[in-house]
Amino acid sequence: MVDLSPLYGLLAALLPFECLQARFMQQALVGLLLLAPMTAAMGIIVVNFRMSFFADAISHSAFAGVALGLLLALDPAWTMPAFGLLVGLGIMGMQRYSSLSSDTVIGVFFSALVAFGLAIVSRDRSLARDLQRFLYGDILTISDGQILALTGLFLALMTFQALSYNHLLYIGLNPTLARAHRVRVAVQQYLFAGLLALVVMFAVQAVGVLLVTALLIVPAAAARNFARSAGSMFWWALAISLSAAVAGLLLSAQDWARTATGATIILVACGWFALSMVVTALRREGPV
Amino acid sequence: MDIAVRFDEVTVERGGISILDRVTATAPKGSCTAIIGPNGAGKTTLLLALLGEINYQGRIHLSGNGRAPRIGYVPQRLTFDRGMPLTVSEFLAMGFQKKPLWFGINTALRQQAREVLALVKAEHLVDRTIGALSGGELQRVLLALALRQEPDLLVLDEPSAGVDFQGELIFCELLDGLRRDRGFTLLMVSHDLATVTHHATHVICLNRKVAAEGPPRRTLTDENLTAIFGMHMGLVNSRSMPGDRTVCSAPCCQERTDG
Repeated sequence: MVDLSPLYGLLAALLPFECLQARFMQQALVGLLLLAPMTAAMGIIVVNFRMSFFADAISHSAFAGVALGLLLALDPAWTMPAFGLLVGLGIMGMQRYSSLSSDTVIGVFFSALVAFGLAIVSRDRSLARDLQRFLYGDILTISDGQILALTGLFLALMTFQALSYNHLLYIGLNPTLARAHRVRVAVQQYLFAGLLALVVMFAVQAVGVLLVTALLIVPAAAARNFARSAGSMFWWALAISLSAAVAGLLLSAQDWARTATGATIILVACGWFALSMVVTALRREGPV
Repeated sequence: MDIAVRFDEVTVERGGISILDRVTATAPKGSCTAIIGPNGAGKTTLLLALLGEINYQGRIHLSGNGRAPRIGYVPQRLTFDRGMPLTVSEFLAMGFQKKPLWFGINTALRQQAREVLALVKAEHLVDRTIGALSGGELQRVLLALALRQEPDLLVLDEPSAGVDFQGELIFCELLDGLRRDRGFTLLMVSHDLATVTHHATHVICLNRKVAAEGPPRRTLTDENLTAIFGMHMGLVNSRSMPGDRTVCSAPCCQERTDG
């Protein structure tokens, strides 16, 4: 296993906050610095594709994935992302080939996943304790192994974004138009759905099932209000997501706050969104 | 006569209901071919089959110049999130630029965007966001995007929908000029007989089946129009414009008048 201690030491030196001297806080910071750019970049496309319900359904498959692992005596750390990936690709496939509306397809998957997770939990009471961890998330328990896996996903996802961002915007506008103009729509959609499923699964561990969609949507929504082009929207979303993640982690560790980290991150991001609404209102009144 | 598109016994069924029934028709190369018919006649379905968006029986042949034919497509309307901060220059570059738009637009692509916008007389829109465009402006930008493909076949779904009367005429004149200059084949769906009589050189009358096909003056007869629209239409007097003006100055209209 790669030793990440030098990285943690560097972060502690760069950000000399008292709360960041603890190892688990340094690990959480690294985890968030990897996760925030991914959710920001994917969030832009989720907003563009109107796929927030899709992300919600994936996040709700987290518990079913863990339950499946326990049921089959497999490591839940692997069954959860693998199950999420399957669900993501399954929904995308059904959306493409079914005549049902997208909301209906996701709604059916959503119900089945929640019911499956609850059915397993009801069989084994000890699993109910884990349920709370998935509802609220806990970035402070992230391990070095998870950070390395997150690094791998970060590299894959950012490469995909760099290669596909323009085409994903095209498809989001109108898939028929994109296809007629020789964009490979199906490949891009499946790759996007698969990577989004994996990001959501990691994000569930950080902010919990209830807030994972917010982590995708809120920075992208605020960025849309600040930005004047699709290019600058990316940088705005990145800045908002990273600042909310770091500020949320630091604030949640203060003695006067002692709040859940995931919820604090989302509250900071929502603060950014409120500010973006003020900027939009001011722009409407006069040139800014 | 060279053929750009040939529909050969194209049949589309959905839920057991026949939408297109053994449609056999052609679009001559370099022509302005209009597919006309009442609502529910299957006009847009035929276009979607051509674009490969829906499954169909039969065959559709497209001829390219020794390569896969390039299609430029202008949809009837673009349903999109108008709050999305996507500029017109980004919109025109995103299908061509490899580098993500976060790093800006290549100078050459920006220049090409300006040039293609100038072709559709919309160069002033280059830095506007697409959500801020009017119906007519958006249609010009969509036409510019289709022209950026350097198409062999330009497909338009209801080119006059969402555009005001004056804008429609300007749009059609533009299309006529571009088709002649660039030599592409224009295939459009329209329910607007005035547009068709002005601009089409070939007409396919469709009402689930092909009722008639050929040059407009020979095809848009009282008899054929009654057959497909189900009531007495008569030949539309395409010159009956408001204010007694012969507004359309497209080359084809002038030729037709002269002739």
